[in-house]
Amino acid sequence: MAAPGLLRGGLWRIFSGLLGSGRAAPPARTLRQVVEVTEGNTTTIEGRIIEDAEAPPPPNSSGQCPICRWNLKHKYDYVDVLLLSQFIRSDGGMLPRRVTGLCLEEHKKVAVCVQMAHRAGLLPNHRPPLPEGHVPKKPKLNRYLTRWPVRSAKPIWKRGPKWCKKPFPVGHPLLKDNIKYTQKPLCLNH
Amino acid sequence: MASYSRAAQQWATFGRAWYLLDAKMQPPGKIAAATVIRLEGRHKPIYHALNDCGDHVVIINTKHIAFSGNKWEQKVYSSHTGYPGGFKQVTATQLHLKDPTAIVKLAVYRMLPKNLQRRTLMQRLHLFPEDVKDIEKNLLQEIPQPRAVPKRLDEYTPEEIAAFPKVWTPPKDFRRK
Repeated sequence: MAAPGLLRGGLWRIFSGLLGSGRAAPPARTLRQVVEVTEGNTTTIEGRIIEDAEAPPPPNSSGQCPICRWNLKHKYDYVDVLLLSQFIRSDGGMLPRRVTGLCLEEHKKVAVCVQMAHRAGLLPNHRPPLPEGHVPKKPKLNRYLTRWPVRSAKPIWKRGPKWCKKPFPVGHPLLKDNIKYTQKPLCLNH
Repeated sequence: MASYSRAAQQWATFGRAWYLLDAKMQPPGKIAAATVIRLEGRHKPIYHALNDCGDHVVIINTKHIAFSGNKWEQKVYSSHTGYPGGFKQVTATQLHLKDPTAIVKLAVYRMLPKNLQRRTLMQRLHLFPEDVKDIEKNLLQEIPQPRAVPKRLDEYTPEEIAAFPKVWTPPKDFRRK
């Protein structure tokens, strides 16, 4: 089965072995669904490859990354969980760029939006697996558009006089080019 | 209006109404902006500063307000008791845990005009940390929420999730964790 995808995967593993990683990873095969069929006195256990339904063709086939191909370049935010959930693992982490095919700037933007969505509590089922018996603390405070991690932010004890106040950062500067449907300018510092 | 009697028209124009505002998942600044307009009476065409035409506003669910950015950790509320060594500074988190209505109350107080009317208008503001039963009998109208609350991933129906197209297809040998 010399499928191009498998060969590519094999070449990558040989290359990384030459670099001296030292780990012998088993060759990866697709996940198969186990189907057990009993006909009379013969039981057939088969591993069937799950074929996803044909994806509809993207509007802009000449794009380099999925975001450009679907014309979503400056149009998504931390709220668009249906889009962001396609780029994350089940424990909430981002999938690598070489797998998803995103270009670097879009990968960073999606990572930032995913972080903000996690902090806003919009992805409740994508949590890291916890050790047995550990009950996670329920978050008592609601937040949105958080730029920095919650435990890393320190209080601003002295904000300064009116003409040079220390601002509160809101949102992320990577998303400043998103299209706006209102005339109000996007405020990244409150 | 043609169909109202004189007395009914007078009551309807100058009567003090009660409004409801749900502060769940809303930023306290925008909540305060919407309430201050109603408390002063600026939403009425008969507004004048001397008219005393403001209305009552009831804000519920102040315990569930949402700050944008990292303001829960960064915003500091300061006060001084007047005694030496009495300068107290608390973060928004600590203040909210101590008194769930304080943040909205301070936001409204600081947004009202700085005149003698401010204290009377604050008396017409009613704050409740959680939902309150049986207040519908007093209320006239609900003020629309300033911020559109986003949907969580588990609040989408399976049909909506299926209707959203897959933006990328994984390669054949990709093992999804």
